[in-house]
Amino acid sequence: MEIRPSSVLLAAALLGTALLSGCSWFHRGEKKSNDVVVEETPGDPAIVQPQVTRRVVKTPKIKSKDIELGAYFGALSIQDFGTNPVYGVRAAYHVSEDIFLEGFLGRSKAGTTSLEDVFPDITVVSDSGRRFTYYDIDLGYNILPGEIFLGRGRAFNSALYVNVGIGDVKFADKDQFALNFGVGERLLITDWLAMHLDVRDHVFETDLTGRTKNVHNIEATLGLTVFY
Amino acid sequence: MRQLLALVLLMQALHVGVAQAAEKFLDLVVTDPYIEMHSGPGRGYPVTYVIGRDEELTVLYSRTDWFKVKAAHGQEGWVRRTDLARTVLPNGDAAPIPPYPEFLTHRWEFGAGYGVYNRQNLVTTYGDFGLTTSLDVELVLQQANGTLDNRYIASIGMRHTFIPEWKWFSPTAGIGTAYQYIEDKNPPAPREKDNQMAYVSLGVRGFITRRFMWRVDWRHYVVFNTLNVYEDLEEWKFGLAVFF
Repeated sequence: MEIRPSSVLLAAALLGTALLSGCSWFHRGEKKSNDVVVEETPGDPAIVQPQVTRRVVKTPKIKSKDIELGAYFGALSIQDFGTNPVYGVRAAYHVSEDIFLEGFLGRSKAGTTSLEDVFPDITVVSDSGRRFTYYDIDLGYNILPGEIFLGRGRAFNSALYVNVGIGDVKFADKDQFALNFGVGERLLITDWLAMHLDVRDHVFETDLTGRTKNVHNIEATLGLTVFY
Repeated sequence: MRQLLALVLLMQALHVGVAQAAEKFLDLVVTDPYIEMHSGPGRGYPVTYVIGRDEELTVLYSRTDWFKVKAAHGQEGWVRRTDLARTVLPNGDAAPIPPYPEFLTHRWEFGAGYGVYNRQNLVTTYGDFGLTTSLDVELVLQQANGTLDNRYIASIGMRHTFIPEWKWFSPTAGIGTAYQYIEDKNPPAPREKDNQMAYVSLGVRGFITRRFMWRVDWRHYVVFNTLNVYEDLEEWKFGLAVFF
């Protein structure tokens, strides 16, 4: 071991202080710091200078796979405008085994209202306004983690989760603030590939059909995600 | 075109192969009498295998508080962080299990939340970089949807945490500059479509668990306009964030 002159001086100084103060303070702890002083005068050359080049051992880092990315497809029931296909992408970050934060980006196209079906001359929203796009930022909680059995020899990890969040729905060429909540089932086909079944409701306020009301737009989707 | 696609796919397959071959995993030795391997990354999943003392295991990757490991005989399963932390490297050193970031000294924060801006519903997202334990730079992107108009607000500012050592509840204050874009929804149309703004903020932040935290903020904006009138806006918001 290399002994620096400064550390020896420091040790000597410490010893001196300990002696002067009657050693009372230094004996409080378990460590006796005055034991370490070797009887060496400052500037003593070491007999053997070690010529060791230390090998830096790099331990491989552990990858964390807490991020889940994927896409989904399903049906969205737009209140008063019929049920239509919906598709989107989703990204989640798993904070703990229970909690995750998730974002959704989805798109659909509304059909016609029954009023428009009966009176074809009436248009409630323009063609471009029928596009229904949304984004959501959600907080999710895995309430029922478990396993799903397929036959005798196969078990898949799964979790039933609930999510609630806020976001924006653009419908009839207008952006509205929307609440969303839902329940879903995540089935892990492998430890990095998951299948999702979700039912979620997007609630927002609109005056499209004459009076201001909250509309519920429920979607049922099937998704596939990959853990990164 | 098809050939190109095939080439791209082939390259990708090769890349994956090379990446997997080059990947090195961490080998650890069990020091407890035994270590339990669960079938999934959660407390409820059943124990499917145990690795005995002095046996080796390979850590493949982690998910939240759990680590996917491979036993010497090829069995795979999930081990809890606290169990894995008691293993050692083959040379006897403690296992290098990365600790959770300290809330006091964390660098990055990413979060989102709900708020009220100018009496409009607000969706807010933010990213924050800690220069010191008490001084942060934050970038906030938000959307406020109202009956008359929708507003998009971007802001950048500094935030000071008064007593960062108070983990569960610590007050903050900040100043910064912002830009808002107003999208007309229903008449009357806004007189100015975009504005530069300045703000002061007061808030509280606190730790929840592991990487998770909460924030409550109040902001007062002064709008710079050319209308010769004093205009100011108020904002309240609550958010959840993860820190790294």
